[in-house]
Amino acid sequence: MRYWVKGRFTKGAILGLVIGEAFSVVFILFGSSTYLSFSNRVGLSTGLSEVALTILLALFLVGLIQSGFNGSGLPVSSSDVDYVFTSPVPPREVFAAKLLLNSLTTVLFGFPPIFVLYLRFSAYYHTSWSSAVLAGLATLVFLVIGLLLSADITLSLGHGLGERKKLWRNIFIILVIAVSLLPITLLIPGIPVEVAEVTRVLPNGLAAAVSVGLVSGTPVGLAYLADLLLFAWLGGVLVLGVRMSRGHFYDLLEVPSASGEKFDQPNQVSRLNPKGKSIWSIVRLKEKIMISRTREARAQFISAVFLSAFMIIYALSGSFQSSPTSFLFILFIIGSFGSGTASRWIEKERLWILKSSPLSMRRYVKEVYRARVAPLLLYLSPVTVAVGVPLILGGLSQPSFLLGVILALPGALEIASITMAGGMYFASKYGQSSADDILSSQQQELADIRRFLFQTIINLVMVSPLILLVFVSETLVTILGPGYLPILAVGMVSVSILFTSLSINFLLNKAGDAVSKREDV
Amino acid sequence: MVEISIQNLTKHYATLVALDNISLKIDSGEVFGLLGPNGAGKSTLLKILVGILRPTSGTIRLGEYDIVADPEKAKKLIGYLPENPSLYAGLTTLEFLQFVGKIRGVQDDLLDHEISGSLKSFGLDEKRNSLVGSLSKGMKQKVALIATSLHSPEVLVLDEPLTALDPKTRVSVKDWIGGQTKRGVTTILSTHDLDVAQTHAGRIAIIDHGKIVAVGDVESLRRLANTASDARLEDVFLRLTEEKGEEPARH
Repeated sequence: MRYWVKGRFTKGAILGLVIGEAFSVVFILFGSSTYLSFSNRVGLSTGLSEVALTILLALFLVGLIQSGFNGSGLPVSSSDVDYVFTSPVPPREVFAAKLLLNSLTTVLFGFPPIFVLYLRFSAYYHTSWSSAVLAGLATLVFLVIGLLLSADITLSLGHGLGERKKLWRNIFIILVIAVSLLPITLLIPGIPVEVAEVTRVLPNGLAAAVSVGLVSGTPVGLAYLADLLLFAWLGGVLVLGVRMSRGHFYDLLEVPSASGEKFDQPNQVSRLNPKGKSIWSIVRLKEKIMISRTREARAQFISAVFLSAFMIIYALSGSFQSSPTSFLFILFIIGSFGSGTASRWIEKERLWILKSSPLSMRRYVKEVYRARVAPLLLYLSPVTVAVGVPLILGGLSQPSFLLGVILALPGALEIASITMAGGMYFASKYGQSSADDILSSQQQELADIRRFLFQTIINLVMVSPLILLVFVSETLVTILGPGYLPILAVGMVSVSILFTSLSINFLLNKAGDAVSKREDV
Repeated sequence: MVEISIQNLTKHYATLVALDNISLKIDSGEVFGLLGPNGAGKSTLLKILVGILRPTSGTIRLGEYDIVADPEKAKKLIGYLPENPSLYAGLTTLEFLQFVGKIRGVQDDLLDHEISGSLKSFGLDEKRNSLVGSLSKGMKQKVALIATSLHSPEVLVLDEPLTALDPKTRVSVKDWIGGQTKRGVTTILSTHDLDVAQTHAGRIAIIDHGKIVAVGDVESLRRLANTASDARLEDVFLRLTEEKGEEPARH
């Protein structure tokens, strides 16, 4: 335990974690305020909060169940395998130390953002800060239950569950999702309230009921029983894990690979038929095949769903109507999120294949950008139109507002494109370093946080002219008069498109040059 | 065929001098061995030669092309096998070879033929639809070798091609190297396996602390090292590199 603690809490790691915590607190405040304005608009408060929290915690639970079945319920590194697992320390002690450390870390680092979240809600519901603390603690108990459950599932793989793990995993996940989604039925008029009560059999439902009840000041029927049930879950999964950890379980655990790639099927139908295709279409096809065969495809899908849901919720909350620049800002956030898709382009040790070939690295990076990012942009386009058309129709009577909206709609996609190009630069400059592999995980975390902040600042600088255009649009229409609206609209949209094209080209050229100049391959 | 000319090549990594004013000439069709202790600068030299790294100063010409000034033309001539070739684990063997063949400019009508022939000769035909990530280390090394030679390069640069291979795979890799050299390809072979160097290489350079300490055939190296005329290359190598310290040269 001391070995892991010492390794994890270096000075640099603590600094990095403080920055990370600060960032998550800002994000939580932003997200919770958006959520509250949305729930106000649709006229639901406490009920909706409990539904939302149950579903959110269910997603967390599903993720942990999946990782439990994948053998990652107890996170291990290759150094653990080499040095700890080969030591005479009994497996049960290793199990206990790992669990204790993971739970402590979760509680320690999870508490500030969770507390801030509930504090924001308690301010909204006019309840005391102590209720926010208690609500946060209930959620943290749930998080620890999730970690224990995940570890238990991994340990259970050795008891004959291994061979049937896919079936069991799917049954488990479907059950958890089904039970967790039941509160949504409360939105259907006339549905019996008892239906939603079913969700409280799972720890996520219990945690949501206790936390929301406490923070909203709503008297929760059988609150103490819910508390007891939550702690019963905690005790149950802990006892189960301790019992199962008596055996030698090391062979069940999975060490994450350096590249993060994992494939279900060793044999695949070849899809890269090069006949009649150009080199660059083969490069794009290769990239798409690689994405489709790794977990990245799932990550991309989740990104797309998350981004569009976020946009729709934000549109429904009415924030766009108050100011078109808020639309751009939200797209900057979305673009930054989407740039993660671009940032996941990692060649690392495989750069020898490309760098020893006659390919132009500038062009190569541009083709990877097309393959990785274009689908996400294409997906976002109809969502932007769906969000934007009602805004335009609503703004026909206000010419000054209308120009801002006309600029903001393509501007949203332009911002997303630029930030994603920034993501490619980020990946080229920092993500390809095989030298990173020799950094300790703490140094790596710190380096990642620094790079992320650096990248965010660069992205913000790159997209600020587009945001500025929307800012000045209202003043321009006011000065020149509504008659100039069509000319201004065409002119300013053209300028923004030209600026975007040049910026993307600049960033991708820099990205290509960064790959060419890499010395650590 | 292509000759290689290296003139006053120097490479610095911050304060570390990885290569110190190296000059070499390798004739077209020659098999040239590169020996040296770990960290001597062999891999750095080869990476500069194939255009992965840039020299701090000096020039490398492959035939008429300078690798820094004309990288695209020079790289078309080269087939490179790194010390630990990392491949695209998410592609099948066939897809990987098709991709590499395509980016190295192999014509579509030749590519399938080349791949099928090579897979058969390495006994990998039944692995064509297996993901590269699922292959054994030896199989991956064979796939990397096929990728290295798909475009029939005029220069082969092989960095430790026999490292950590089982005896059976070593034999097939040695046979492959023999086949390539018979084809008249200019070959630079970096290896710790002195037998391989002695068997295949006409001339051998011994590199230590970023400098060439000796160049020549085995006989001339024996003379340089003042060893017996039947001394093993291993003894010659140890004699020529023993007087240097352990620390690399620094500015």
